[in-house]
Amino acid sequence: MHPRRATLLAFCDGEAGADRSRRIAKHLSKCKKCHGQLRRIHGEKEELSAGSAAPPMDGRQDLAGVLSAMAAWREDRAGEAASELRNRLQWQIETYFGFPAVSVVERPGIRAEELLGKASEILDVFLGPNAAQAVTEDVFRGLDWAVPAGESCR
Amino acid sequence: MTRKTNMDGMESAPRWIFTFLGGYLIVHLFVLYVWNAAGQVFSIQGTSDGTSALSVTAMAGVDLWLCLVVLRSFPAGAPLRTSWMLIALAAGARVAAGVLAQIEQIRLAAPIAGGPVRLAFLAAAMLGVLRILRQFGFWARPSATDWAVSGIVCLFTLCRFAEAGAASLAGRPIGLEDWISLAGLPILCVLFLEAMLLRRAVLRMGNGLVTKGWLALVCGILLTGAGEVALWVIPRDSQTLPLGLFGALIRLPVAAAFALVPAYQVAAQRRAIKPAGDQPEDLATVVPALAR
Repeated sequence: MHPRRATLLAFCDGEAGADRSRRIAKHLSKCKKCHGQLRRIHGEKEELSAGSAAPPMDGRQDLAGVLSAMAAWREDRAGEAASELRNRLQWQIETYFGFPAVSVVERPGIRAEELLGKASEILDVFLGPNAAQAVTEDVFRGLDWAVPAGESCR
Repeated sequence: MTRKTNMDGMESAPRWIFTFLGGYLIVHLFVLYVWNAAGQVFSIQGTSDGTSALSVTAMAGVDLWLCLVVLRSFPAGAPLRTSWMLIALAAGARVAAGVLAQIEQIRLAAPIAGGPVRLAFLAAAMLGVLRILRQFGFWARPSATDWAVSGIVCLFTLCRFAEAGAASLAGRPIGLEDWISLAGLPILCVLFLEAMLLRRAVLRMGNGLVTKGWLALVCGILLTGAGEVALWVIPRDSQTLPLGLFGALIRLPVAAAFALVPAYQVAAQRRAIKPAGDQPEDLATVVPALAR
């Protein structure tokens, strides 16, 4: 699967993380299309940093491009966080109730925030509010999570 | 990645109960073996009754204390608070029975507290638990085996009532303790059916810490029924077997199974509220990926 433009941008800026960078570099060594796109990004970056006279562009189009790249990058991060949150919730349900309980609580296609709600409810009822809150805090520890509108679990 | 074995604190309460029960059973089985090997020449009835009563009452005390710890963690209005209160009352009834049995004047109150009263508390508690399990989708229809097991207890109850009826018709007096025991049997039938439903729900959940507690409740009820049947059948089958020792072998495992119910709950709660530094590193993130 080809990395998104936002991912390539992050890779270019050295903000993609070690594992991801390694995967992207591996992909780039095989994929001419992505390699070309990376070169274009490099070029654009150099042009911007050098302040060279870029071909005149429509300001609105440029802004729309930046905004869409930002949205794509944010979407990518939110998807990862949702997947991580789901994994952590599954693990907590498995620890306190058991593996089959995960399939009862987690319906197919359930959104991360719905799963969070159901898991919190069941933990609250069976463990008590204090313990349930502690588990929820543990789930969110170190997780960059903000409920994305319309985001569903993968 | 494995969790360090720790016998400190209330998180390890189930382990302590298992250790004590294991030691107790080993000693009693050894005594039974020696008694059998020695040609059954000495009496082991008296001593086993005393130690058994003390151990069972102590275990019930632990059960009650753990129940109160659990009860404190469920505020008023929490769905499971009533059930835990009833389980605590059942544990309290067992403690009361153990204490009352030692007081000559009110000894008869002991089987009432430890029998029908305790079983009624448990039956009411289980109704609440089953209702909540149903709400969360952990409900399953009882299988033929479940019906069969419940049927055996119902059959046993009918046999006991028939026996009492026949004795009454023949003009033989029936003791008050027998009447009390008979009064508890219909409740035991209800409890067995509830235990089978709880077992099905537990099977649907898996073997987590909370689930283990409810499984212990099922085991406690099954052992109670099995003990009642065994103590009724053994005297008919053999006159020489030491009933007191058999009773001791049954009563403590039953008390331990009931004590495990709050013990697992406490263990689960303590695990949840443990500071992050005490939890295994990155377990929440690494294990699901490995497990799946």
